[in-house]
Amino acid sequence: MTPLLEVKNLTRVFGGLTAVGDLTFHVDSGEIVGLIGPNGAGKTTCFNLLAGALRPTSGSVFFKGKDVTGRKSHQMCKLGLTRTFQVVQPFPDITALENVMIGAFVRHGSTGAAEAKAREVLDVVGIGHKADVLGRDLTLMELKRLEIGKGLATEPDLLLLDEVAAGLTPVEIDDILALVRRLNSEGMTFLVVEHVMKVIMNLSHRIVVLNFGSQIAEGTPAEISKNPAVLDAYLGEEEYVA
Amino acid sequence: MRRYREFLIPVVVFGLAGFLPLFLKTYYVHIGILILIWAYLATSWNILGGYAGQHSLGHGLYMGIGAYASTYLALNFGLTPWVGMFVGMAFAAAAGWFVGYATFRYGLKGAYFALVTIALAEAAVYVVSNWKAMGGAAGLEVKYLGTNPFMMQFDGKLPYFYIILVMTLLAVLTAQWLNRRRFGYRLIAVRENEEAAEAMGVNTLGTKINANVLSAVMTAAGGTFFAQYFTYVGPRVVFGEMVSVQILLFAIIGGLGTVWGPLVGAVILVPVAEIARAELGTQFQGAHLLLYGGVLVFTMLFMPKGIVGLVKSVRSRIWKTPDDSVSAPAPEGGAS
Ligand SMILES: Nc1ncnc2c1ncn2[C@@H]1O[C@H](COP(=O)(O)OP(=O)(O)O)[C@@H](O)[C@H]1O
Ligand SMILES: [Mg+2]
Repeated sequence: MTPLLEVKNLTRVFGGLTAVGDLTFHVDSGEIVGLIGPNGAGKTTCFNLLAGALRPTSGSVFFKGKDVTGRKSHQMCKLGLTRTFQVVQPFPDITALENVMIGAFVRHGSTGAAEAKAREVLDVVGIGHKADVLGRDLTLMELKRLEIGKGLATEPDLLLLDEVAAGLTPVEIDDILALVRRLNSEGMTFLVVEHVMKVIMNLSHRIVVLNFGSQIAEGTPAEISKNPAVLDAYLGEEEYVA
Repeated sequence: MRRYREFLIPVVVFGLAGFLPLFLKTYYVHIGILILIWAYLATSWNILGGYAGQHSLGHGLYMGIGAYASTYLALNFGLTPWVGMFVGMAFAAAAGWFVGYATFRYGLKGAYFALVTIALAEAAVYVVSNWKAMGGAAGLEVKYLGTNPFMMQFDGKLPYFYIILVMTLLAVLTAQWLNRRRFGYRLIAVRENEEAAEAMGVNTLGTKINANVLSAVMTAAGGTFFAQYFTYVGPRVVFGEMVSVQILLFAIIGGLGTVWGPLVGAVILVPVAEIARAELGTQFQGAHLLLYGGVLVFTMLFMPKGIVGLVKSVRSRIWKTPDDSVSAPAPEGGAS
């Protein structure tokens, strides 16, 4: 079976800096794959490349067996690959419901259908009662949920989550993890970037470790937590001790 | 029937406005026509500037194209302006597409987009001023025919009033329609956060270009009406910066990205400006311009969402209703 997402020798250079270098990995349908690495390792850049927000310097991306290298963001979204942002990106001057409707319009042409889908999604991410609140008036926790909701509303096959746990309390993190697991059990595939080691170890079926833009390890959470190269990369960053 | 309820309020409001001239002196009908011209143009601009958040400062370009196209075709080929209007709209569509592509394709935003649109409208003033067939700097005069409905010419003011009333109604209905349609939501998404919009499947480049084309096409029709009413087109009169600036003034003051804002802005400001011009015009030329500037600064400082935005926030504070654009298609809708 061809993987849902296949990344081959993906490289992105900024000036002299190789943010992502020769990165190769894949994501199978139904998986939750974690993408980890110290700050500046190239995780967000990788997401930007996969989602079409940046063009790769070289290398290629295959999605559902199709070469999609260099496609634009909105095209990737239509194909079924949607990303969320590390720094939440709400539409501030419209309501939470309307925020999510923008995503729902990808698969639904009529306003009524998009609105129905958006209400359903708001309930799924647990902010149904905030439907009429403006984006600018939501709390960080609500914005994090909205960010996931905006992605879900596009009905992706693969959802890229960029540090959804950052800035949340342990209880809130558990909530979001439960949500991701449930969506995964319903068939959605995830590629998850996460800073908080506990989160990624708990959630992922498989983990890809980046350092300085290149893959330094790949394996199950148990394998990764014992991998000397990984421990070395994280040395001195105590918050990562699993 | 329920589907069309959102359009009922504009139709009723404009229907009632249609009775006004029956009670008004000719001079006030003239003021009414001026109000409607600017309301129409500002509503057209608002689709690009207010909904999509791309502040064009060169809409004189499209107004000029509309005005010149119908006037030139009527003078040289006897073509009725009713058809000439659509020819102008077609040219404006092409121009709007070109301007949109040339600017948005290269990521021009904010002040940079505004500057390029000013430059293009100014370039049009220069080109037309030096174009003999278009009358050069002297412009073109609409041939006087007396009352001739076929050529969109009338001796009295009433017919003009009703023509521009219907045009403005159509523009307001278009804005109302956008308010609850996918394209309208996408315009707002582009305005609010382009990166997020793109990530959520919105073709931001295409959306902005389409907004520019729609806005340009509507503006051009206003140009044809303007030419017929004043029976004259000159390069600076229709393409010039005064036109471009006034168009967006009413939208900003009334309320960016709202259905009624541009109309409200024009209804309040045009009469005041006309009075200032009539009373002070001789001793103090440009008094109305000073007035516009003052009101604009006041608006930006104290009510950034314009008059309609202010009314909405006061109303929601009093009644504590959630934004009504969501629960029901309210007349002002969810644009802001
Ligand atoms: N647009 C950009 N221009 C220049 N350098 C960038 C850009 N985006 C990211 N970088 C650099 O690329 C490296 C990887 O960044 P990023 O992908 O954000 O890392 P991570 O998400 O893993 O923390 C960093 O050194 C960062 O400074
Ligand atoms: Mg990052």
